Amino acid sequence: MTTVELIGDQEPSVERLAEALGERFEIQRAESHVRDRVYMDTFDALLRARDWVLVHADSSLSLQNRLTGDELHSLRWPHLPTEPLLAAELAPGALRDALSRVIEARALLPLVRVHERSDELRVLDSLQKTVARVGVIVPEVVSNAGLRTPLRSRVRLHSVRGYEAELERSRALLAKTMPMAESEVSLLDEALLASGTPPAGASSRIDVGMGGEERAEEAAVRVLRALLAVIDANLPGALADTDPEFLHDYRVAIRRTRSVQRELAGVFPPADLAAMRAEFRWLQVATGDSRDLDVYLLGFDSMRGLLPEQIRGDLDPLREVLKGRRLTARREMARTLRGERAQRLRSDWEALLVALDQRPIADRPDAARPIGEVASRRIRKVYGRMLKMGGAIDQSSPPADFHELRKKGKELRYLLELFGVPLHDEAVVRPMIKALKGLQDVLGHHQDREVQVVKLRSLADEVAVMRDGSAALMAMGVLVGRLQQDAAAARSEFAESFAAFSSCEQRELVKETFS
Amino acid sequence: MSVVLATYNIKGGVGKTSAAVNLAYLAARDGHRTLVWDLDPQGAATYLFRVVPKVKGGGRKLLRLRTPVQQLIKGTDYERLDLLPADFSYRHLDLALHRFRRPTERLSRVLAPLRHEYEYIFLDCPPSISLVSESVFRTADALLVPVIPATLSSRTFDQLAELADESGWGANGGPQLLAFFSMVDVRRSLHRTVMARMREIRRLKLLGAAIPQADEVERMGEERNPVAAFAPGSPASISYQALWWDIQRRLGMRRR
Repeated sequence: MTTVELIGDQEPSVERLAEALGERFEIQRAESHVRDRVYMDTFDALLRARDWVLVHADSSLSLQNRLTGDELHSLRWPHLPTEPLLAAELAPGALRDALSRVIEARALLPLVRVHERSDELRVLDSLQKTVARVGVIVPEVVSNAGLRTPLRSRVRLHSVRGYEAELERSRALLAKTMPMAESEVSLLDEALLASGTPPAGASSRIDVGMGGEERAEEAAVRVLRALLAVIDANLPGALADTDPEFLHDYRVAIRRTRSVQRELAGVFPPADLAAMRAEFRWLQVATGDSRDLDVYLLGFDSMRGLLPEQIRGDLDPLREVLKGRRLTARREMARTLRGERAQRLRSDWEALLVALDQRPIADRPDAARPIGEVASRRIRKVYGRMLKMGGAIDQSSPPADFHELRKKGKELRYLLELFGVPLHDEAVVRPMIKALKGLQDVLGHHQDREVQVVKLRSLADEVAVMRDGSAALMAMGVLVGRLQQDAAAARSEFAESFAAFSSCEQRELVKETFS
Repeated sequence: MSVVLATYNIKGGVGKTSAAVNLAYLAARDGHRTLVWDLDPQGAATYLFRVVPKVKGGGRKLLRLRTPVQQLIKGTDYERLDLLPADFSYRHLDLALHRFRRPTERLSRVLAPLRHEYEYIFLDCPPSISLVSESVFRTADALLVPVIPATLSSRTFDQLAELADESGWGANGGPQLLAFFSMVDVRRSLHRTVMARMREIRRLKLLGAAIPQADEVERMGEERNPVAAFAPGSPASISYQALWWDIQRRLGMRRR
């Protein structure tokens, strides 16, 4: 089914439509409709990225192609969605499957509500069969507080499958008497813009342009303010526990901020920076437990999959313990993030960034240097450090060595993403990031398994006293063994991925690019 | 993957098409993408949906997968409800199927590209036992069998139940056999007696809901619409709704 929306200078009327179409078709006036449509997508517009949109109307949720209006899947859903919705909350079926594949654990948020008054006509053929639907739509955006903002009226034409030619004929007939053009902005986008919602969704990607000769302090401030915007944007969702990605993106933005603080330390006044670094570290720690437990629960089924099938069910008490701990950690985290210390941190940090260029530069040796020079020096330095650290690691190295290398790898990745990409040829920097990512995946897998083993051991007492706790303990024992095997496998993969990362070509490339 | 439901009976005039059209309408109204394939060359379902009973290239080309099935589908007047129309050439569908090496798999192959697009596919079958019906048995998840509560009509269901037993459908994962009483006149003692007797036979899976002999069902031919669309509060409409709920409940128990 194709949907076309036309907009003209004059207010369209259904009588004029009937007159124009009546020249060729029999027209039947359908009942007037009043309907509310609620458009939904994830915070980062994952559906939009696939040209999809989820619409609630007429007591159904309908997944549609955003460009053509074709319905892909639908599900009866009587209530108007006012709260975030997870794919897992939908009844099993095609809609849930399609959404789950794309949004995974992200929540669908009600983005905007459009109230539509429509007068519709049915275009009939000689058998009195409906071959197209045409209507005048008078839409308005309804805010959460009930305020209404009128949008432009439009003529909407729907094709009926197998009768596409009739839609084109209808359109041609309308064009003869009513000067209208296809709307450049869809009703959805117009409604989103009217409600102040960015149509493309929120992105946690930092895309700050900069020139190599620019003062390092200016470039650093722009990047850090963009990161602060990501922190601010994700905080409400993290507090409300809308979905796990809000907290994840919040923490990544904090980690990136800390990385810039550390790597570009020379652009900040030392005393202020030391205070802020301590505070950001505190913030990272305050959110760590909640995130770890999110990761545990999100990966629980795949962890369970490591066990022989007959004992997978024995692990259920562990899930309950994790859920309980997660709730406690979330409550504690929300208290902390709403607290005075977190709010002061945010305002102090912003104040420092806003006024940085007015501070004396005597104790800020990198402030006035070109960002190209400062960032390149740091990238070379961190890369070199990683080569040393990685070169000293072998099969018998303690887990802490792998962990330290991974942390350093994150540092390099953020430098490359935040400064390497905008300052250098992306075609050169992206493959470097890819090679680094390959190494980080192996290190991350190793680290995750090590942490999981420690965590499982720490939970043993709590699981033991639960109903069916002893069976769960035995299953946890088997799981610890599997996780250790997995960690050992990751260790054996390390040499290969580190070799790719530290190859002569890579070293040359880093030297050449960031000289 | 879609659930394929076939309205089937060896006998004609028992309410197969009415059931297919009304149940498909209710499925679509519930928000499910639904297709009716009118396999009967008489094209009654096609007529009810006001669609021209014509398939480009005829049944043979369709079976040979020469014509992409998606191009032959017609939208009905109802959202989410589409039709694969009948064609008079379907009267030779048996002969056309005979030409294939695995004739009973043919309908499944035709439907394969649609199995992800539709949640429910209704096959409105012609009354017979033939290669077409064998293909339907092979394709469908459930056979919905309307039974008029009269001695002769109920015998045809007995024959079908025997066929199911012989084919070992239960064990081999063939279609579920779901019968329901159709064209019931509760004022007639014969209908009451036959219904009571058949409900006693445990081996028959008879659905609780029954479709009455009602003016609204007969008026479908005049209105060219499903009962629930032009007489939503009528006893017949409510019976189809009850039947649809009953079918969904049973399908929830076992899906192929």
